[in-house]
Amino acid sequence: MDELELLKKDWRKQNTTYKQLSAKEIYPILQKKSSSIVKTLFYISVGELVFWILINSIPYFSSDSYRERLNAVYSNEYVFAGLTFISYGVILLFIYLLFKSHKAISATDNAKKLMESILKTRRVIKYYVIYNLVMVSISMLVGTYFAIVNDPKLTDSISHFNNKQVFMAYAIIIGVTAFLILIIWLFYKLLYGLLLKRLNRNYQELKKLEF
Amino acid sequence: MNKELEHSFVELLEKHQNIIHKVCRLYTNNYDAHNDLFQEITIQLWRAYPKFRGDSKFSTWMYRVGLNTAITLYRKSKRSIITQDFDGVEFRMKAEDYDNTEEEQLKTLYKAVHELNDIEKALIFLYLEDKDYREISETMGISEVNARVKMNRIKTKLKTILNP
Repeated sequence: MDELELLKKDWRKQNTTYKQLSAKEIYPILQKKSSSIVKTLFYISVGELVFWILINSIPYFSSDSYRERLNAVYSNEYVFAGLTFISYGVILLFIYLLFKSHKAISATDNAKKLMESILKTRRVIKYYVIYNLVMVSISMLVGTYFAIVNDPKLTDSISHFNNKQVFMAYAIIIGVTAFLILIIWLFYKLLYGLLLKRLNRNYQELKKLEF
Repeated sequence: MNKELEHSFVELLEKHQNIIHKVCRLYTNNYDAHNDLFQEITIQLWRAYPKFRGDSKFSTWMYRVGLNTAITLYRKSKRSIITQDFDGVEFRMKAEDYDNTEEEQLKTLYKAVHELNDIEKALIFLYLEDKDYREISETMGISEVNARVKMNRIKTKLKTILNP
């Protein structure tokens, strides 16, 4: 193709047209901070971990009545210890997986592999969020159930409800939980959607080449 | 990082900096964005440098990190959104080197290249840098056959833009 040869010829001549940076000008650049999406993704994942750990721990440690209620619900010591062990185990597992996937991201990999490593890290964060959302929904529903069963005042009020009112009460609780989860989920979709929009587009473009 | 490592890196980068400039030239559309991307590529290269073993040429390694940064890692700054009339003329040789038809053709060609998507730009960049299909496929993570097919499609696309 003649046109491309012309472009190539011109492209080669470009070497002489760029403003050349001296070593003195390059040194300060090395001290500057990166603003890559990997760094942003890293901060988000650390933020996720801290956020969900705080969400799960603050109410327990800051509110006596909540702690008492929770202790009443999980009156069996072994059940409580087991659940605590599992929840911290899951957090540790996610920390390990995140660390491993972040470590695997390397700018020296080929373009496709680099994109896959970043998307893998994003998937780990996604699973962590899903896990927490599921746990929040379960705790809200189970917590409400036990609160009703264990709280005499609540049990008394509910005993005056007719079937329709009981159904409505449960529907409201489930609806509110579902709405909260939907809002959080949409927030994540937007956050990662904006951050990884270009990456996803380019990855799809590369994948298309395989067919 | 020790001073010796830093010194050897800066020396190599100074010598091969045009590779980064050319990547920036292709993926940005104004002076500030060019500098931003140049900085990010330099940072990524510096971070990866301790693992550079020298079994590949420094320049080959730079192509990979440079393109990866431009295509994947670089988070576009607000400054890159500001568009200016940037058709490559300011980067090219003086107009008298070409006759008018060539000049016009080149102008259109550069404009057409800027309209390509990120992946197509990467392929055309490696082609313009005289890389063979093996190297193109290794840099992009696609097979040689697919690199060849895609390259032909890009050529046709450019040809169509030039001769509608």
